[in-house]
Amino acid sequence: MRILLVEDDQGLAEALQQSLIREGFVVDHVSRGKLALTALAVPSHDMVILDLGLPDLDGLLVLKEIRAKKNDLPVIILTARDSIDSKVKGLDYGADDYLAKPFDMQELLARLRVIERRLGTATSSLITIDRVSLDTKAHKVYLLECEGAIEQPDINEVHFSKKEFMVLKVLMENAGRIQSREQIESKLYQWGEEVLSNAVEVHIHKLRKNLPDKFIQNVRGVGYIINHPQH
Amino acid sequence: MSIRRYLVLTLVAVLTLITFIAAIQGYKASMSRAEKLFEQQLVDFAHIVKGLHQTFDTKDQQFVALNEQTSFAFQVWQGERLVSQSANTPTKPIMSLHKSPTHFGEVNFSGQRWRAIYYTDNNQLNAFKGKGNSLVIIVAQPLKKQFLLAQEVILAAVTPMIIAIVLLSLLIYGIITQGLKPLHKLTSALAKKRSNDFTPLELNVDNSELSRVVTTLNQLLARLNLAFERERHFAADAAHELKTPLSVLKINVHNLSQELNEQGHNHPENLIKPLTVSVDRMGHVIDQILHLNRTNPEQINQSKQPIKLQTLLQAVIGDLYQDIANKQQTITLTSEELLLMGDELSLHLMLSNLISNANKYTPQQGEIKVSTKYIPNGNNQRDSQNKTAQIAIIIEDSGTGIAEEEYNRVYDRFYRVGGDQHDSSVLGCGLGLTIVKHIVDIHGGNIVLSRSTLLGGLRVEVLFEQNLDQNLPLDNSKLNSPVSCEEKTDNKDERD
Repeated sequence: MRILLVEDDQGLAEALQQSLIREGFVVDHVSRGKLALTALAVPSHDMVILDLGLPDLDGLLVLKEIRAKKNDLPVIILTARDSIDSKVKGLDYGADDYLAKPFDMQELLARLRVIERRLGTATSSLITIDRVSLDTKAHKVYLLECEGAIEQPDINEVHFSKKEFMVLKVLMENAGRIQSREQIESKLYQWGEEVLSNAVEVHIHKLRKNLPDKFIQNVRGVGYIINHPQH
Repeated sequence: MSIRRYLVLTLVAVLTLITFIAAIQGYKASMSRAEKLFEQQLVDFAHIVKGLHQTFDTKDQQFVALNEQTSFAFQVWQGERLVSQSANTPTKPIMSLHKSPTHFGEVNFSGQRWRAIYYTDNNQLNAFKGKGNSLVIIVAQPLKKQFLLAQEVILAAVTPMIIAIVLLSLLIYGIITQGLKPLHKLTSALAKKRSNDFTPLELNVDNSELSRVVTTLNQLLARLNLAFERERHFAADAAHELKTPLSVLKINVHNLSQELNEQGHNHPENLIKPLTVSVDRMGHVIDQILHLNRTNPEQINQSKQPIKLQTLLQAVIGDLYQDIANKQQTITLTSEELLLMGDELSLHLMLSNLISNANKYTPQQGEIKVSTKYIPNGNNQRDSQNKTAQIAIIIEDSGTGIAEEEYNRVYDRFYRVGGDQHDSSVLGCGLGLTIVKHIVDIHGGNIVLSRSTLLGGLRVEVLFEQNLDQNLPLDNSKLNSPVSCEEKTDNKDERD
């Protein structure tokens, strides 16, 4: 995947480039907003990592410009500005995701992978967490059985309904981040599904029955989460 | 006391006092003048009586009794004999007979007190000396009559003065009110101004003193505004300047660890861990210092709006969940969707500091409970008439808590519980509760620390006054119903 990195700080740009290249991305770096717009005039990039504090043109304006051209290029915003206000603004302007400096590289990579899968440019459409694998393209869920030998584990497909699959996909794509009931509901709405008031609870109940214990965790009063195995 | 009241009251008081002193002086002077006038009148009357008596035959000793009622009374004596008298006099001499030519005196007869004059013709007295038939005229006028007359005259002179005082008072009031109008306009313009409003006063005053004040005030406001802007930009600039290098550091640490991993280094985390911890700590301190500077009352008051508390709490817990999961702690949120008037950014900061503290000072597998409570008629003693509702946010944990004697110190800048003995493995810089207290104060709330009876650790209760207008789209009381059902589904979920 080819990423355009728009960042005026040379040190940060170099470090990011190094990290991203190590992860197998192709990175082009520009340090000015105008240069970014010129570079994007030719559709050669798959996504943009955009710093908001640019010396010549505000990052939000760059984003606005990109969206004004009906370009649905995924954009992740990086900013040192204060969290909520810029976040809301950035997302209003059509950013796909948002990271406040200083951020963890792991976090940025996780978000890049979500976008990668969405674009279908990922080498694998498989998200694997713990013993559960989810194929975002084939709409299938696999469960690795513990009893099998490590070299040749038993892989069983678990059947879920379309809606259940969607709920699981939301949770697995956002592993490590709590998804509130409202957030999951709004995702279901996005896919044009009718959502009953307790639909999410029913789906989660069904998912939990067929997945390993404590795979989907409930944070009472807040929402649901699937944790990264390393944590 | 307002300038207007002071001026009106003192001026009217002084005016009244001086007028009354003048009136009393005038009364006294007029009275003595009137007395003289009456005496003169009596003397003149006596002369007339004498003249009349001499014109008519005096040798015939006739008795003249005047029957008409007059305010005067008189007696004419020839020696020991009453020659003539007015009807209102007795037949005895109304005044003892003196030898002196003229004599004034006060006498009683006919049931009244009279002022009388005793008058003898000196020439005649000499001519008939020894014969004992000198002519004596006594004229009297009732005192009451005299007094009433004098009073009438004086009153006629004083009454306009009293009316003048009333009129003058009204005039003074009007003139002072009119004169102080520009000042009054300035005061009300300033009173209407919010503390964070630095726009110049738009006030047209034509008097030179006040227009100078307005100009100076406007200049001051402009300078304040500039300083305020500068301060805000400084914070934002500082954030940018410090956060970007920190990001560079963080990513380079990540790159380094990857590099070490690839080179097959044994236990690279031993080398990397201290670095990551220090970088995180630095980031935390920078964040907190900036937060403390950024939460100034002007800005917070400016951006107050109704905040959905439950959504906010969910977001805060969501942000902190990795830390909570890392320590395998259980966190529960028991809340209803309440609307709270406040600044979202600073409330987010406050809650995140409180919950993060609970996370930090609660051991592995501990428990954290976050709940909200709507208190319809707050037991707020300050204004029990208003009965403002209150919203409580309660955060409890199963940690070691804070000793009671330290409750007051924890809000101090850079103070950490236990002082130097503070567990340095816990990330922090002693600014968290300072920021929390600051934000609570700006929102006019209250923060209470106690020991949690439920979990045994610290219990933090933050109370805010529910200061929303009725005309807002969401009403807290209406929001209560769907919550209970959510609770139920949640419980059911737990049992699965």
